[in-house]
This record gives sequence, structure tokens and C-alpha cells, in this order.
Amino acid sequence: MENVLNVVLSHQSPREVDRLVAYWKSVIGDNRLLVAYGGPRKSFGEIEFKSKVFVDDSGLRTRDHQREGQSYTGVFREVSNLIRRRPGPVDFVALFEYDHLPLVQDLNARQVERMHSDQADVIAHHLARVDGTSHPHYLYYAANTEFARFLEKVSVRINPEIVLSMFGTGSCWKREAFDAVSGFNEPFAIYFEIFLPTLAHHLGFRLRDYAAAQDTFVSNLGDRSAEVSSARDRGAWSLHPVKRLPEQLSSVRTA
Amino acid sequence: MRRILRSIGVSFARLFGTKIVDVESGRTLGKAFAISWRGKVHLIGLETAVRPTFLPQERLTYWKQEIGFTTHQPPDFPNERSTRPGNVEQQESN
Repeated sequence: MENVLNVVLSHQSPREVDRLVAYWKSVIGDNRLLVAYGGPRKSFGEIEFKSKVFVDDSGLRTRDHQREGQSYTGVFREVSNLIRRRPGPVDFVALFEYDHLPLVQDLNARQVERMHSDQADVIAHHLARVDGTSHPHYLYYAANTEFARFLEKVSVRINPEIVLSMFGTGSCWKREAFDAVSGFNEPFAIYFEIFLPTLAHHLGFRLRDYAAAQDTFVSNLGDRSAEVSSARDRGAWSLHPVKRLPEQLSSVRTA
Repeated sequence: MRRILRSIGVSFARLFGTKIVDVESGRTLGKAFAISWRGKVHLIGLETAVRPTFLPQERLTYWKQEIGFTTHQPPDFPNERSTRPGNVEQQESN
């Protein structure tokens, strides 16, 4: 039995969060679920679901996420601290943004199996090496010498210049990798899609991509709410972004 | 307004730009305008993250060299935690 904690990041209203939780519970179960809340503190108290943690980090609350360098460091730190206090083992941590829905009940088993078969410490969607390329996020941080200095300082790798990019949502981490990354702050505001995989790589962890078969169901733009059923039929483990939780699906699942 | 004009320009480049092919795999990477300006080549509209590289030449020429594009292989680096140097300790939150 894999001990995976699913961390769902949300800034939505308490009602929407509880509705999302109901969906998650119906698919995954409730003892493996944690809501990391990035909305107003007042709203946090109104969320009925008890397994929750408030993330008090201005780096998470950006508007232009890429240019302001949105950070998940506060999320990692809060979750890592909470896991230490929480009863029961947690061997893996899976991160999901609020608009990323699981579509299969054994999602965590599939993730862990993929990690075992790839001998990965982290698996993620759209993982790519981007140093020396035209990738806009890489080029932006390459212009800041502090970025290279930071990597040089923390890296255990022969080549400290390697930079990776990935989607944060859907990433699954071995506990050791998650805890290790949670112990670091960005030297300056760095977008988490660059910071998290690059830091994990330079700390010595092995990162692998889910591969195209699943990456195709996780995209960065638009709204794939209408695709929930068809995506599941086509073999999707999860779907992103889904901006509207389907009424029918939710009621069926939670019935 | 500027954002709309930029979107139109980028769409135009992705529709009518030159086809960029991975020089190693032959895979099509997308379409873009490649414009030289003030000693630099500006790529406009390409969505794939590419690496520029000078291409090998079968014929020795002094007057022309070609720059092509390729991509990195998917990350497949081993775990190196066991070879971690002793002097690199986990940095506490600064």
C-alpha cells in the first residue's frame, strides 16, 4: 500500500473548496487528502474539511505568476512541517492545483508504480531540460547572475548549469525529496516551475516525466471542463485545467 | 492594444514562418520568423524550447556557415544523493 498524501492547492471560496474536497474524497478517499489554502485567512476558517493548512506566503499570491516568480516554497514548508506532526506514514507527496482533477481511483498507485519503474524521486508533467535553449523562463533567469551562483552553491552535480522546467501540478515526490526541497528559499523570486525541478535535480534527486501519454491531459491554458468524461475514456489519470467541477460527475461520485 | 497586435504578429509567424526542423531528429519543431538584426538572430513565434547549433559541413566553405536548431533529450539523470559531497549541507531557510 503506497502512502501518498495528496496536497490540493486552492484559493477558492470555502464552499468551492468543500465541493472540490467532496469530489476528491469520492475518488481518492479522505485520509490521503490535505488542502493547502492560499486564499484569505478568514475564508480558511470557514472551510469545513479538517485536513487543511493555511499557507501564509506572499510569494504564492502573485498575479502575473511568471514575471513575479510565483513560489510554492511556503506550500512545501507548511506541508512538510505538518507531515512531521501528522500521525501515520507519508512516503510520497502529490501536488495538485485546484483545477487539476483526478480521474481514476488508483491514481496514486499508478504514480508510485511509475516512480518505481523509472527509479524516480520525482515525476512531473512536462519535465524538460531548458538550459541553453530559447525557453522564456530560462532566458529570464539566465540574465540574473545570482541564479547561476545559487545553483553552483547547492549543486552536487558535475554540471551545475543544468536547468529543468516542469508543471508543479500533478508532480509526485518521494518524501525525502519533498522535505529536502522544502528546506530552501529562492535567492530571489524564481517561478516555481523552474525553481522546484532545478533545485531537486541539483540536490541529487532523479526527476522523470510522466511521458506524453499523460502529459497530453495536463496543459497550462484554457478550460478542459468539457473533456472530463472523454479524457477518462482515452486513458487519462487526471485532467488539467478543469475550471468547472462537473455537477453531474460530482453528485454521482459523492452519492 | 499592444498585446493584441503582438498576438496577431505571433499568429502570423506561426502560420507563415519558416519551418524549424530539429537537426538531429528531423522532427518539426514549429514555424517562426528568423530575422537577423544588429548582429543577432531574433526568433519570433516559435513555441518549442530550442538550442541553436552550427551545423557540420561536408564541403569546406569559408563564406557560409549554417545554424540549425535542436532540443535537449528528456531529463534522465541518475540519483546522485549517495555521491553527495560532505560539505554540502542542506541550507536552512535564509
